[in-house]
Amino acid sequence: MPPPVKLAIIGGGPSAFYVASRLLSLLPLKDPMSPPLRVHMYDRLWAPHGLVRYGVAPDHPEVKNCTNKFDTTATDPRFRFFGNVNVGSTPLHSIPHALHLPLTSILNNYSHLLFATGCTMPTLHPAIPPSVYCIPALSLVHWYTQHPSQPPPPALDKISHLTLIGQGNVSLDIARILLTSSSVLRQYDVPEHVLEVLSRSTVKHVSIVGRRGPLEAAFTTKELREMINLPEASMVPIEPTLLTPPSGVTLTRQQRRTLELLQKGSKNRPGSTPKSWSLHFYRSPASLTLPSSASALDMANLTLAHTCLDPATHRAVSTGETSTLLTSLVVTSLGFHADPETTFFDPALRHLRSSAGRITSSDGSALKNMYASGWAANGAKGVLASTMIDAYAVAGTILSDIAPSSEAVTAAAPPPPEMEMAPDELLDCRPDLDALPPEIVHGIKDGMVTQYDDWKVIDAEEVRRGGALGKERERMGWDEALSFIALSRARP
Amino acid sequence: MSSFRILRSVRMSAVVRDRPVHLLDHWTRSNSQNLGSLSLRRWLHGSQIQRHGNVTRPDPGTGIKLHFKDSKGKLLKTIEANEGDDILSLAHEHDIDLEGACEGSVACSTCHVVLSPEHYDLLPEPSDDENDMLDMAFGLTDTSRLGCQVHVTREMDEMTATLPSATRNMFVDGKKPTHH
Repeated sequence: MPPPVKLAIIGGGPSAFYVASRLLSLLPLKDPMSPPLRVHMYDRLWAPHGLVRYGVAPDHPEVKNCTNKFDTTATDPRFRFFGNVNVGSTPLHSIPHALHLPLTSILNNYSHLLFATGCTMPTLHPAIPPSVYCIPALSLVHWYTQHPSQPPPPALDKISHLTLIGQGNVSLDIARILLTSSSVLRQYDVPEHVLEVLSRSTVKHVSIVGRRGPLEAAFTTKELREMINLPEASMVPIEPTLLTPPSGVTLTRQQRRTLELLQKGSKNRPGSTPKSWSLHFYRSPASLTLPSSASALDMANLTLAHTCLDPATHRAVSTGETSTLLTSLVVTSLGFHADPETTFFDPALRHLRSSAGRITSSDGSALKNMYASGWAANGAKGVLASTMIDAYAVAGTILSDIAPSSEAVTAAAPPPPEMEMAPDELLDCRPDLDALPPEIVHGIKDGMVTQYDDWKVIDAEEVRRGGALGKERERMGWDEALSFIALSRARP
Repeated sequence: MSSFRILRSVRMSAVVRDRPVHLLDHWTRSNSQNLGSLSLRRWLHGSQIQRHGNVTRPDPGTGIKLHFKDSKGKLLKTIEANEGDDILSLAHEHDIDLEGACEGSVACSTCHVVLSPEHYDLLPEPSDDENDMLDMAFGLTDTSRLGCQVHVTREMDEMTATLPSATRNMFVDGKKPTHH
């Protein structure tokens, strides 16, 4: 019988769930060869599923179907979820109600540890720091998903022109939400208070700025096609020379299809719709001059440096020219990085220091029984499918450590690298399988820690409330969830 | 856990059965066709969820033969299917390790399979939606399709569906040159 395994997973998003799901299914409960196993998942948010709940755009409900699989994983009796728990060295300022759990409490109670903490911080632009006229895209996403960090609602009823910096899918998500009628969005998982603001929106035009060209844009064809097909908006046509690939360049399939879509232009004729959008290639923000008067109706002046691609490095370099764009609000959507407060954060990589799924020390050697997966390990890139494939690979690595003789560990698996125990971060190799850190025991007693059963009660109630309003779901905030859980527990 | 199981089944029925119907009502009242028909079609695809795992197996020797192979070309299983069955549902029915993260609603690329060329040509062209997802699939080939979109016909007898290779480096391989 292999030694017992007690794995703590920090983070409750898709990467965390896919690792848990794979591990639990590769080590079936009923198989006598499976080691005694516990998988305990900790999330700083009170609700599970990370970006699937707090990142996926509301009009993409199909993407959220993966939560059915996560629900199945959570029925495994070896699995537990603890929400509203922030594991780390310092309490979480953005979510004051999250219970603080020092990492040492995890280390003292678990034999294995996986960081699936994601990339929770927006990457800002050095030339245009946040202000009344410049906000990170993440605060808009957190607003329309009712994230526990509770950013203020944008003053959409006071603005006409919005500029997105960055040409990835998050950027297009925001553009699409702003250019779609609230009567269409009403059927989805969009909170009522968000719909109320969207219904009063006076946004007429969205400019989407990128420092490189259409071949380098990070958005996917699916998201671009949705923009092209928007029923109430049209795209400003793009200069044809920008859409001609340089000679000698072999396009990928995605690049070819992107160019075709852009050449065809929007379904609605330019100028035929009340709302419009435009893509600005080879432009990089240089400065943002705020209006002199305090009136919110005044527009800010965004100076854009013109750029071209350095043929050798494929980086954007300035041509020396500039132009200006009058805009009511700039939204930076330049990607995400891991929280620098996370243990093993590497400032140069802007995510955790890891190699092939294992946390590494600064000299590059793997730390025994410590793992990282998903965006925390790789940076904020890739769609759900890439997160899943990575998670399955990390589950395979964990499995090769805990059950090397298991059938699932194929002969082809690489031998484990030289590993060392982290001197100050010793995991407990003989943990009490069902014991919890004392902070969690207290948190559960006080009702401050949510478990998966609690989430399912909230989930069902959110769907019920949504149904009554003719929509997919109506979300709860923490205060409401807290009292609803207390009520449901009090019921016989 | 028992209360949780009950809640889960309640929610599933709400999602899988009630919601598409509800949306249908919504869209017959609404005039916005573009986004509507798109969403609606996705939901109808979504309704296929009910069939996952409960594909009816034909009597042995009477069905359409399909071979599943792993990324190295090793035969995993030969199965028999009925006309109209889709490859994702068949894989689930026969415990083939093919994911369906979005449950057949053409919103992910996790059920990507590589088909034998002579059978690939028998299929109708992929939709724009499917092609958009294939753009993001790893190990894409000229005969790649989403398993959820391939419905088996009699003439596809002896077709091979190969699972694509997924490497740990896909975060690098599957991505265009990075920014910065």
